Amino acid sequence: MATDLRISNISKIYPGCVANDNVSLQFKSGKIYALLGENGAGKSTLVKILSGVISPDNGEVFLNEKNLKLSSPLDAKKNKIGMVFQHFNLFETLSVFENLSIDATEDNKSLRVRINEILKKYNFSIDLDVPVLNLSAGQKQKVEIIRCLLRSPKVLIMDEPTSVLTEQETEELFISLKKFCDEGILIIYITHKLKEVLSLCDEVAVMRKGKVVSVSQTQNEKVETLANKMVGQKLAKIKKKINISKNKDEIFKVKHLNFYSDDPFETNLVNLNFSVKKGECLGIAGISGNGQNELFQILSGEIITPDTSIIFRNKEIAKLNPKQRREYLMAFSPEDRISQAAVPELKIYENVALNNFKSSNFFEKGLVNERKIKEHSKKILSDFSVNTDNVELKSQFLSGGNLQKLILGRELITAPELLICYNPTWGLDVGAINYIHETLIKINNQEKSTILISTDTEELLKLSDRIAVIYKGKLSKIMPSEEVTPEKLGLLMGGGSID
Amino acid sequence: MSLDISFIGILIGSIMASSVPLILAASGELITERSGVLNLGVEGMMIIGAISGFALMVITDNLFIAIVGSMFSGVIISLIFGFLTQSLLTNHVATGLALTIFGIGLSAMLGKNFVGIPGKEFPILFSSLRESIPFFGPILFGHSIVLYFAFALPFLTNYFLKKTKLGLVVRAVGDSPVSASNQGINVIIVRYCCILYGGAMCGLAGAYLSLIYTPQWIENMTAGRGWIALALVVFATWSPIKVLIGALIFGGITILQLHMQAIGFRIPVQFLSALPYLMTIIVLVVISRDSRKIKLNTPTSLGRIFYKEK
Repeated sequence: MATDLRISNISKIYPGCVANDNVSLQFKSGKIYALLGENGAGKSTLVKILSGVISPDNGEVFLNEKNLKLSSPLDAKKNKIGMVFQHFNLFETLSVFENLSIDATEDNKSLRVRINEILKKYNFSIDLDVPVLNLSAGQKQKVEIIRCLLRSPKVLIMDEPTSVLTEQETEELFISLKKFCDEGILIIYITHKLKEVLSLCDEVAVMRKGKVVSVSQTQNEKVETLANKMVGQKLAKIKKKINISKNKDEIFKVKHLNFYSDDPFETNLVNLNFSVKKGECLGIAGISGNGQNELFQILSGEIITPDTSIIFRNKEIAKLNPKQRREYLMAFSPEDRISQAAVPELKIYENVALNNFKSSNFFEKGLVNERKIKEHSKKILSDFSVNTDNVELKSQFLSGGNLQKLILGRELITAPELLICYNPTWGLDVGAINYIHETLIKINNQEKSTILISTDTEELLKLSDRIAVIYKGKLSKIMPSEEVTPEKLGLLMGGGSID
Repeated sequence: MSLDISFIGILIGSIMASSVPLILAASGELITERSGVLNLGVEGMMIIGAISGFALMVITDNLFIAIVGSMFSGVIISLIFGFLTQSLLTNHVATGLALTIFGIGLSAMLGKNFVGIPGKEFPILFSSLRESIPFFGPILFGHSIVLYFAFALPFLTNYFLKKTKLGLVVRAVGDSPVSASNQGINVIIVRYCCILYGGAMCGLAGAYLSLIYTPQWIENMTAGRGWIALALVVFATWSPIKVLIGALIFGGITILQLHMQAIGFRIPVQFLSALPYLMTIIVLVVISRDSRKIKLNTPTSLGRIFYKEK
């Protein structure tokens, strides 16, 4: 039976923010719908309303012309609306089977039979009796999907499902979603990743600042057109002028970088040698887990390796800790913004002060000079167009993009000679990515150097002057980026070799 | 003092009796904590149970009413905690501490007129078997019904948590209240129930002290047993069976060190008095070393305030 889901004039207002402003949309089964928007555009609010987690201030939801009252998650379940949240709604310490049985109405035996049928039908392989905390992100998501499928849903809503998945897992997910769609389940796919919309979905609704700004067929759209709709302005195309000058000074030079670890979750690094010139961006590509984490930690001084030589501005710094390296004008932007770069519970200005460099006068005689730190923080907020001017705000309330701008700002305001960043645009939306990219290019134009460790090949090709690939802890030959194509990079990242 | 076989039997019997209040209170608190609520008011709830049980016994002269009444008073006082932490979203730790202080003070006030009144003999079961079977007689028979209940409780609790649907719901709520709420479970009600159950068990533990173990009312007669029960839950890594083991070790060494003191061992008394605490912790730490199991048994959301998104 065909399913028809209609959202009519939904509004939801939070103090100081209109999350949904008169949203009306219509969905029909047999198609995959994308709901596209930047972080904070109101997508998540809308799906929370559809799944009964929050109630709208205004508006109605119709399923097959029946007006639904969705005042609790139970109502959504009863009406066969299934939802896979971005942050998994699983019980980590319970087994997979316990997770699935918690809201089941049948007895355990027949439930197990039904789960096994689903596992077989969609080719999922999950051990039902291990605790969920032992599963990978992709498997956890499958558990969530199975939980929905057990209730034979009419509508399946996926909230940014690929943000935690590897590429392989993403492909598997897309195959499953297409299968569900063929079986008549209406799929609503929430994302801010444009390519996913184009490759998976049939129709796309774009949201911006709580409003639906466009609904269209994806076949009529391109990455650029969607990006412009999402951001609301024409995005400047960024292309860096590659500057390879043979005679520039080498500002940073790494020799014999070896790292050996007993931890099976760490990658050993084998004899890495590379150098960075003044005003240059060295890109280091690779699929995550090939040693980037370890490399970043060694370059930043979190891990000290013996017998490695790191020369920076003609000084040997291999034995210095991160604080001392900062004093020599290095700066770092780690991959994990929340746990490595900033403390989410601290206020913005407190996070700024954490990075206490010698030249600043944030601390006097062991006391915190709050006024100076706040002034300094305000300057960062305005210079780096962070979306707030309240330095008292706790950092956890900043969106990913704004937090990254704050971190970059904090690092750059000391005018470092070398910035090392690891996946600086991970999980950000288009607008923020553009801003970060522009900033990184600006650094190079000011004759400062950058090392960009990234898993995003497009980003690397856009920003780097020279590129090397890291694979299983070994570094490939360093290539000028005009000689590099995405195909070549892909080959190297997969462990292949060229020429 | 001769260490003959029947004496050992009596000794074990008395160790069991002394560990009953710990088992009861800890099993109750375990359920509360498994739902993610940290109630530090165990001592307060126990002492309220002790005084209300004793007072009801004196007033009504009916032990059944006294026992049920003590559990009911435990429920009432834990309801205060539940209302504050679940409905008014106060901090679990501060509220629990307040509850203990409140309970101790209130019990002292209520108990003023009951000091010095003799208790009533509590009926014991199978008293004839106790005398007729050597060694096993004093261990297995001649105890109050509450003792038998207390020794069954950890196994019942284990069964409840591991095998029943409701137990699964309790664990789920303790693991992730947000997920549970999104799955349509009413987190607040589940937590209220667990808090009230914990209160009832603590009330019963208190009544066991004032009606059965030392049948009289003495101010502050729980003497820190509530805190021991709380510690047992944590050191037993939220496993009911290990709570039972811990309570027995604690009770056992308490009794043994008293005998050692009486015999006049040349070990400082202070050290002997500290021994039960030390040994219980050591043993429980050793038997609970499996970090994977700790992770699986620990209620992830313990002590965190949950409120529903609107």
